[in-house]
Formats: sequence, C-alpha cells, structure tokens
Amino acid sequence: MEGRLANAWRLTANDKSFIRTALLSEIRIDGRKPYEYRKIVVKFGREDGSSEVQLGQTRVMGIVTAQLVQPYRDRPKEGILSIFTEVSPMADPSFEPGHPGELAVELGRIIDRGLRESKAVDTESLCVLAGKFVWAIRIDLHILDNGGNLVDAANIAALAALLTFRRPECSLGGEDGQEVIVHPPEIREPLPLIVHHLPIAITFGFFSNDSILVIDPTHNEEAVMGGRMTTTVNANGDICAIQKAGGEGVPQRVIMQCLQLATAKAAGITKQIKEALYDILWYHLLRETTLETGELKCTTQKEL
Amino acid sequence: MEKKQSGSPPSLIDSTVVPGDVVLDLSSMTNQTIMLGGGLRQDCDAISVMKAGTLRFSKPNKYWVESSQKRYTPCVEDTVLGIVVDSKADNFLIDIKGPVLAFLPVLAFEGGTRRNIPKFEVGTLLYLRVVKANFGMNPELSCTDASGKAAEFGPLKDGYMFETSTGLSRKLLSSPTCPVLEALGKKLSFEIAVGLNGRVWVNAATPDTIVVVANAIMNSESLSGAQQIIMVEHLLKNIQ
Repeated sequence: MEGRLANAWRLTANDKSFIRTALLSEIRIDGRKPYEYRKIVVKFGREDGSSEVQLGQTRVMGIVTAQLVQPYRDRPKEGILSIFTEVSPMADPSFEPGHPGELAVELGRIIDRGLRESKAVDTESLCVLAGKFVWAIRIDLHILDNGGNLVDAANIAALAALLTFRRPECSLGGEDGQEVIVHPPEIREPLPLIVHHLPIAITFGFFSNDSILVIDPTHNEEAVMGGRMTTTVNANGDICAIQKAGGEGVPQRVIMQCLQLATAKAAGITKQIKEALYDILWYHLLRETTLETGELKCTTQKEL
Repeated sequence: MEKKQSGSPPSLIDSTVVPGDVVLDLSSMTNQTIMLGGGLRQDCDAISVMKAGTLRFSKPNKYWVESSQKRYTPCVEDTVLGIVVDSKADNFLIDIKGPVLAFLPVLAFEGGTRRNIPKFEVGTLLYLRVVKANFGMNPELSCTDASGKAAEFGPLKDGYMFETSTGLSRKLLSSPTCPVLEALGKKLSFEIAVGLNGRVWVNAATPDTIVVVANAIMNSESLSGAQQIIMVEHLLKNIQ
C-alpha cells in the first residue's frame, strides 16, 4: 500500500489555491488564455488506419481494423462500429493495469456517442450481403500519456484513424451469388470509409468562483476544477452530443456560451485534421508508383 | 606505460558516458587515492561506468557520473521539497518523489516538544533536509539544519510548485547563478525554493509573474546559457 502511495501524483494545497487565484485574473498556469487550445499535432503510422495525436502533453494513439461478421438481427443492412479504450499505467499512475476504470469507459462512451448518434460514419455502405455479412469497424484507442483532456485528444485520434483507414474491396461470387470474395490489396485497391462529417469533442472545465470557464483543461486544472462538460459539435454547427457527468451545477446561459465557443473551435480543429490528412494522402499517392517501371498505376492516374 | 593526464584514455571528463565505458585505468596510476562517486564501479584495475550521464571530476581526486532523472534517489544532506501525505503518532509521512514515502519526526523542528507539535494538513508543501537515506528503508527528514536551527526549513505558503528533472534542480542551485534565474531576476522580483528531488516552488506578488517564472524555468532545461537568456527576453516581451 505504501508503494502505491509513494507513486501517486499529488497536488499541493498551494497549487490548488494558486490555480484558482490565477484564473480570477484570466491566467492559466501554462500561460494560455482561458479559451485557448494547446497545440495539436496529428501524425499517422505506416499502416492505413493508425494515427497518433498529441495535445500538449497528452498523447493518444488510434488504430482502426475491420472484420467481416454477421450483422445484428435488428439491423441486417448496417455495419457495426465499436470503440475500445486501453489505458496503461505508463500514462498515469492512477490507472490500474488490466481492467479499464471509470474514466476509460466514460471516454469510450463519449466518443462512441459522438460518432454513432450523428451518423458520422456511413454504416449502410459497410453492408456486403444483407443479413449475412457486414463489416465491423473496430477503433482501438491507446492512451499513451495523460496530460489532461484525454477525451478531446482521443476523439481526434479516432477521427484521424477513421479517415486514413482503407478496407478491402469485396464482391459477391459463387454459383448463387451468396459467397463473399475479399480481394487482397495488391489486386484491388482498398476503399476508404464514407465519413460524412467530423464530430469534434470540446471539453470545458468549470471552477467554482464566479463560474469561470476554461477550454482544454490540463492535468493540474482537472484536479482542481469543480465540474466538466464535453460537447461534441461539427464544423457545420450541428451538436452531436453533450456529456456533463456530475460536478457542480451550471446555469443555462453558461451552457449556451460553451456551445457557441465549441462551434468556433470545432471549425479550427477540423481544418487542422484535414490539413494533416492532405499530407498523408500525398504519401499514399506516391506509394502507388510502381518502382520498377516508374509509371503510375491506372487507378491513381484516374485520381489525378 | 606512459602517465596520462587524469588517467582516462582519452579524457572523458565532462563528456557523456554510457554503461560499460572504462574511464580510468588504475594500473597506470600508482600511489593515488581516488574517490568514486555515484555511477562508477571498480573492476580490478579498471573503473567503469554503471549509469549513463556526464562524467565529472573535482580536484583533487573525486570522480562521479551526473545524470538527470524524473525520479529522485534520496541522499543524506539533500534539501528537498516534500508534500505531506499523512500524519502518524510519531512521524509525518512525506512524499519526496522517491521510491518510498519518507518520515518526518514530529519533534524535528526548532524548539519542538511533545506539546507544540505542528499540525500539517494533507497537501502541505514543506522545505526539508534529508537526514537518513539507506537503501530499503524509508528516508528520514528534518525541518532543522544540522545544528538544530530552523534556517528556512518548514512549510511554504502560497506560491506555485512544479516538477522538473533532478538535473535541472541541480543546475538551478549551482553557482555561479544559472543564466535563466539571473535573466529573470533582473526584471522580476520573485522568491524561489528548489528541491534536489526535482521540485521547484515559486512565489511572487502577482500571478502572471509566477506563471512567467515557472514556464521560463521549465523551458530552460535543454537550452544553453545564451539560449536561456534569449528565451527569457522573449517571454518578458510578450507579457509587457
């Protein structure tokens, strides 16, 4: 027990009161303004569907994989989308290895709701053979470092991974047309997922004195704040989801203020994700060049 | 065998060494007493490195390896910043970023008796001195210096505490004064307490001074002296 006590991260009484006092003068301990986001860096792995997002000190990795499965009985023509979160004690000493804690489950639920309820990913296009075979998309989120505001970073990682993921093309064959043939990537170009819009999660922290509001709280601010709210909005201004789990009460006008702020921020973050994506698409394009002959394959010539 | 200057082939003093490097060959140095500090080990006639870091030498005969970590290994006579975790009958349990919690006896204060035991809440920040630090045992701390006087030890009020690596703490305490502290001191007035366990406490009159000082110190770890001064000027220009 003592070993665990020694490893825990603690905040001193001095820090708690300093963070609150500084916020009264609109100063945050890392020098940001209250409505400023930390620097977001989106990186992609070598394989399709893997991304790593850095939000200040917070790091999350997202991996997307797909499998052909039987659809749910009540939705025979729709694909399946599922999200799994893994938190490792390397990210934060309070995480326990093995079973995910409350935080990991809540994180998964917020991102899942943002993607599913707003129908960001088109699940009908994932149907191969109605009632028999559909694609099940699995998003694995690995929390690598907890510097505060895991939800936002994990959401961006999930979106970035979904945008770069390519699923194999498959067609129906066999005598009765009921057999599914999955074409390997060398024969037929894998296809991207159809993503209609990008729901971006924006987290707010509330502090008790004079209902002070901050966006993108860091680890220290999360330990001091009285309540939090995550709003998932997209660049078009649609509200996809709101999550406010416990914490102190907030008046209605503050919630409206948060939603307006979130819509403004979402536009900026969507632009950043698309710019990072643009670079990686170029890389994919160049990858298609056949090295021996030096000419581009037919499929990519069409894209050009 | 020719006598080499300071005995290392070629001289590795003040350069980065990794475990396995042989820094001294004792067969070439006769009748000398050498003191080995942390990170060095004697293998018959060769002194080899055990821990990655920078090799240091101080006259007349001390060698040691200096490295910077996030975790702290308690050493006697170090001054550290500790956070109170719990209070027992005889000791306070203090977190000093070491492998185990440390004990602060309730009587280890200037003029401390059973009647005037201080009451520290959980989360109080204290400036302390390490009295005993043996491997496998909980380290013992004290709020007095060796002669029993209070000498600035004890609880720190207000201000902001942040964590750094042990290497940066040592740099901040080195003399002559670290460039970043000197550059900050020329324009701002603040109070600072540095713990060798990788914790630094800053206090000033206004919150924005505290935030500037804290961020300047945190950024200065990998910068050279001149770069630190430029960084501080840049930060100060932004707040004015």
